[in-house]
Amino acid sequence: MTRDAHALPGVEPDAGKLGMWAFLASEVLFFGGLFVAYLYGRTHWPQGWSGASRHTDVVLGTVNTAVLLTSSALVALGAAAPARRLSARLLWSTAALGVLFLAIKGVEWHAEWRDGLVPGVDFALADTPGAEEFFALYFVMTGLHGVHMLLGIALLAVLATGARRDRPWAQARQVEVAALYWHFVDVVWIFLYPLLYLVSRHG
Amino acid sequence: MSASYLTDGLTIRSWLATTDHKRIAILYAIAITGFFFVGGAAATIIRLELATPAGDLVGHDTYNKLFTAHGVIMVWLFLIPSIPSVLGNFLLPLMIGASDLAFPRINLLSWYLYVAGGLVTLAALFLGGVDTGWTFYTPYSTMFSNTWVTLVLVGVFITGFSSIATGVNFIVTLHALRAPGLTWFKLPLFAWAIYATSLILVLATPVLAITTLLVVAERLFQVGIFDPAFGGDPLLFQHLFWFYSHPAVYVMVLPAMGVVSEVLPCFARRPVFGYRAMAWAILGIASVGFLVWGHHMFVSGQSPAASLAFSLLSFIVAIPSAIKVFNWTATLYKGAIRFDAPMLYALGFVGLFTIGGLTGLFLASLTLDVHLTDTYFVVAHFHYIMVGGAVMAYFAGLHFWWPKATGRMYHELWSRIAAVLVFVGFNLTFFPQFLLGAQGMPRRYHTYPPEFQVLNLFSSAGAGVLAIGYLMPLAYFAWSLLRGAKAGDNPFAATGIEWQTRSPPPTHNFEIPPFVPPRPYDYDAQESGPASGLEVKP
Amino acid sequence: MAEPTAFRREARAIVLAWVALIALMLASLGSATLRLGAFNMVAGLVIAGIKTAIVAWLFMRLRDEGRLLRLTAATGLAVWCVLVALSGVDYLTRASTTADVERPRALLPVSASAAQRGR
Repeated sequence: MTRDAHALPGVEPDAGKLGMWAFLASEVLFFGGLFVAYLYGRTHWPQGWSGASRHTDVVLGTVNTAVLLTSSALVALGAAAPARRLSARLLWSTAALGVLFLAIKGVEWHAEWRDGLVPGVDFALADTPGAEEFFALYFVMTGLHGVHMLLGIALLAVLATGARRDRPWAQARQVEVAALYWHFVDVVWIFLYPLLYLVSRHG
Repeated sequence: MSASYLTDGLTIRSWLATTDHKRIAILYAIAITGFFFVGGAAATIIRLELATPAGDLVGHDTYNKLFTAHGVIMVWLFLIPSIPSVLGNFLLPLMIGASDLAFPRINLLSWYLYVAGGLVTLAALFLGGVDTGWTFYTPYSTMFSNTWVTLVLVGVFITGFSSIATGVNFIVTLHALRAPGLTWFKLPLFAWAIYATSLILVLATPVLAITTLLVVAERLFQVGIFDPAFGGDPLLFQHLFWFYSHPAVYVMVLPAMGVVSEVLPCFARRPVFGYRAMAWAILGIASVGFLVWGHHMFVSGQSPAASLAFSLLSFIVAIPSAIKVFNWTATLYKGAIRFDAPMLYALGFVGLFTIGGLTGLFLASLTLDVHLTDTYFVVAHFHYIMVGGAVMAYFAGLHFWWPKATGRMYHELWSRIAAVLVFVGFNLTFFPQFLLGAQGMPRRYHTYPPEFQVLNLFSSAGAGVLAIGYLMPLAYFAWSLLRGAKAGDNPFAATGIEWQTRSPPPTHNFEIPPFVPPRPYDYDAQESGPASGLEVKP
Repeated sequence: MAEPTAFRREARAIVLAWVALIALMLASLGSATLRLGAFNMVAGLVIAGIKTAIVAWLFMRLRDEGRLLRLTAATGLAVWCVLVALSGVDYLTRASTTADVERPRALLPVSASAAQRGR
């Protein structure tokens, strides 16, 4: 395979990293559409939005944010670690925190379903215009985020197994690319946290 | 047949599990051709119905489902993938002296995603279809239509990932795999076009993906973010939808422009006029193309201020396109022009794209658009670009690179006849529609007042001629595969690295590292004379 | 011994970044308890933006990458900003009345449940 005579002198783009960043750019636009819908809802139904947001579990949401931030730190360490075994252990820890995140999310969703906050028949806050739209977006946003978490956990688990055995496809280079994906999923949550849980917590 | 990528594995499995970009291109070509004729069948029934004012061929619900099917199939299953996934896939590595794309397995995945999405979409159409139009406007699509909206949108969603994967692959390939010495401004314009197209695919398609998800969620939850009855906003849907769907038309037209920039210089024996301006114009079209989507919403209830902004930006985006038309024309000046089939299609593109583009300016003008929107004027405008432009360029590319891909020539006379039939049939079909629209005939109506019949008859007759023109290549290309004359490495004496290797190329593209020309399009009309149909020594 | 020291330095940076991120998260939570009106959302987004910058710069290593990758990251964000800005022009300049939300009872929505809910 021929290598490239690069237009930017001195720097050869790592194909994997460039590919992942290009993919992440598309993901910004993917979640970005949801944020636009959210912005519409928040400006159009301010009472509905703040009222509905108060019904999210801010304790669990904050715990989950801490879990995810910590997992990002762990995977960053895992990508930087030169020793493959240490890297594998860090990757497993990250995946474990990811599973914990999803478990907590599941607890939240279950409680919300029990409290009648799932849009549809018998929606508990039907009297407040916009509340149902808030929760529709809430479930779509956290659901989509959760799907991305699942894929990330699977990816990290596979890499952890490979790193443990020092496979050529699980070296620092590949771990770094996977870590980029994980950090992006964390960044999405960094925005979901204030937008979904912290609309109005005063009084 | 000597060893080539075509003989490297003769089982079905070797094709379905291939990671060779050339084989994947052919897989795409087969699938795309199939979808093209399904979409074309829908169009045939539409034009048959519209030959008479009364709704006597199909019922109104069926008519709505037909134009929806035609739009959905032609936009997502034909126009978006055609040139990038067939010609782009086949040619990009060859044009840059690489042995494959950056991510060959993702390339194969993107084909499977395309086929899966296409089959889901077809299933929805066969189960009963969708009657919302390919634009799925809310709240009809979310709250009221009881057709297979969710299923079709799932199909579109899946196909979208094929686009994104392809875009990422092309971007990384161009950054990382160019041959030593092949800097950006030595690349053929087709490569530039594919690059800009890939940027759009990566950045715009995800917005469509999330929009389809939101429509499905709204259908399931019945919540009403897009429904004014619930305090929601149908324009929120339209902003999100058209944010993708306008750049999408540049996905369809930029690669077509790239093909034309390869064909015209070869058959005029002249370098492209103003190469750098052409490259910058491509990037300009792609970037400004993200800023104009509101021109689809001038009468939707969008604010006048926003409409003014979008109108101005839409006039601006025409400028780089116009630069390209001027430069193509200048390329022909003092050329030694030869009217081979690829050239006929490419010249057709330049003329018809110009008409389509100019009529776009009429629509970009707010005062005119109020009268012309949702009439046949719009239908004619976009068909001039999509069919007169993109499809003709696709055919130009198929004919130009057919010898390279297959190692065979096609029948020259029949190919020229088909090209002329396509040109005549196309204009007969769609020019009357400008007149119909200006006279007020609305689009998406299955009946019309009798005074519109004459023009509609011309249009339907033209569609018949067009259909013949499209069917003929099936025949002579099949003949070419079975009995065509063997093509040499470079039957058209073209420049461009892809012509330096054998026809058809070996699996890994180049047996010896190719020579990188100091500049692209090193043609000289004086020196080499018209290209012949036979092999010419460089 | 070059590798382990470099790793230790990087690990220190990562841990410091993590501390900052947790602190910012608590600040975000705290700011939401204050009655700031429209500035609640601004504060939340600004803090989220700073956290994102830390993650992107340090964790995702944009600090060490070249122009191409930084440009790629910036482009995604820029195009999203275009979406918000131009549709924002529509939303900010559209005249809207605060009339009662209308309910077109003549047209029945697809799902019976929506009708059931008396909307």
